[in-house]
Amino acid sequence: MSYDDVEIEDMEWNEELQVYTYPCPCGDLFQISKAELQSGEVMANCPSCTLFITVIYNIEDFLDKKQKDKFEPSKQQPVAAA
Amino acid sequence: MEEIEVNQSSESKEEEQRVWSWGAGTDGQLGTGCLQDELSPQLLHLPFSISTLACGGAHVLALTSCGRVFSWGRGTSGQLGRGDMVNSSYLKPISFFDGYSVTQLSAGWSHSGFVSDSGCLFTCGDGSFGQLGHGDYSSYCSPVKVSYFTNNNVQQIACGMRHSLVLLKDCLGNQVYGFGSGKRGQLGISKDKIRSVSLPQVTNGFEDVEIVGISANGDHSASLSANGHLYTWGKGFNKTSDSYIPQCLSSSLCFSKTALGWNHTLLLTVTRLYMTCSWQSSISVAGDGEVFMLGGSNHGVLSDPEKMSPAKPLSENSNEAALEKVSGLDDTKVVQIAAGAEHSALVTGNFQPSFFIYLSTYFSLAHLFSFLNAIADNGIIMTWGWGEHGQLGLGNTSDQTKPKAVSLDDEVQSNDASFQVYCGSGFTYAIRTLSLPSQT
Repeated sequence: MSYDDVEIEDMEWNEELQVYTYPCPCGDLFQISKAELQSGEVMANCPSCTLFITVIYNIEDFLDKKQKDKFEPSKQQPVAAA
Repeated sequence: MEEIEVNQSSESKEEEQRVWSWGAGTDGQLGTGCLQDELSPQLLHLPFSISTLACGGAHVLALTSCGRVFSWGRGTSGQLGRGDMVNSSYLKPISFFDGYSVTQLSAGWSHSGFVSDSGCLFTCGDGSFGQLGHGDYSSYCSPVKVSYFTNNNVQQIACGMRHSLVLLKDCLGNQVYGFGSGKRGQLGISKDKIRSVSLPQVTNGFEDVEIVGISANGDHSASLSANGHLYTWGKGFNKTSDSYIPQCLSSSLCFSKTALGWNHTLLLTVTRLYMTCSWQSSISVAGDGEVFMLGGSNHGVLSDPEKMSPAKPLSENSNEAALEKVSGLDDTKVVQIAAGAEHSALVTGNFQPSFFIYLSTYFSLAHLFSFLNAIADNGIIMTWGWGEHGQLGLGNTSDQTKPKAVSLDDEVQSNDASFQVYCGSGFTYAIRTLSLPSQT
């Protein structure tokens, strides 16, 4: 079962890992890539443990690559949960 | 651990201290010098005596009995305060505080807070949600004074996942401040949803209440009033709705301590002293020092999806998570509690030797031995909750729904020993301090 439901706007873009991240209670980070989001994936896994979260996002925000490359979660207006 | 910098005058040897760590360790937060999880307590060899610890997401801050501040663990956001942004499995002092006397510290998910004896507040680490309180969203790798508190009357700092709380002294009415992420209501500064603030703002709802302690973890905030009431705000427990204003827990119990996790809070009821009690009345007060839990519906079953309860339907007439007594402790008196993100720890009571001397004037040795057997569980550390990284220290990765005793592999069975336990997100520290008889 999903540990938590997290909106994409509450995740942080990690330039180094090229993934969106959110704190995992084990101390590591739940992670999901843009490619995964574009494919409709909603599960963000933690590389260190078995927990995962459900990411709430609007897939259309990630489909048009060129237009949406400027997407920065920390400055974005709240994304309506699908 | 040759990299440890030891530059301290010889500390008092009237106390002997042992420190153990266990749990998630891949960022160096266990202080073992290794980057791996440990399922059992690891005895650390520290060149200093610890006065207090603060454990965060994956880093640790230590205040030594000499007043120096050490840090280790994850440092990629600058939370170690050493002027860089790298992890360190070795304990090193934060040289910024040479010349300061730090009295209290707190470690959040990736930021750190320090209070000096002069009432100044310093923060460092991740500031991307404004949780450092400097009026910007920058991260700092060395402690920076929070200039907002011009009166230098800061008493306590509490760092959560992405927010911070501050308690001021002698400031009734405006005594609690919040800054950082406020999306779940964890700042308590407005009835409206506040995304984040980077300067301290007064937390509402304490105009007529004297607050003596604050606590923050995950997206939760909590405080205790002088008369033992618990207030919580921020993310709701057990899927109850978020609170944007501090809510007083409706309970007739009087609490002396609270420890927040990411989905639960532990509460310790007020403990009365046994010393002045007769044998009979000491039994009668055995109900004090009890531990209660608020939230935590999935505490101890996270690794088992079958047992995890889906979003609990709210009880029809209340949006308050139920307060439940932690089971399996019977009449054991608890003196300390600590909470990680998804695990819990406690220290059971330890009777003072003078109490036995007092008892021995009234009872035979046989009586005393039977009494000792009855309280054999005293002065130990117990853990429960999520155990996937060994954070319970029970030698395995299993979850536990009830407190289990941790074996510290320690030969000393002394009533002169006192224990402290501290929890980071996925790891745990235990400190045993032994008072040694004076050698002079």
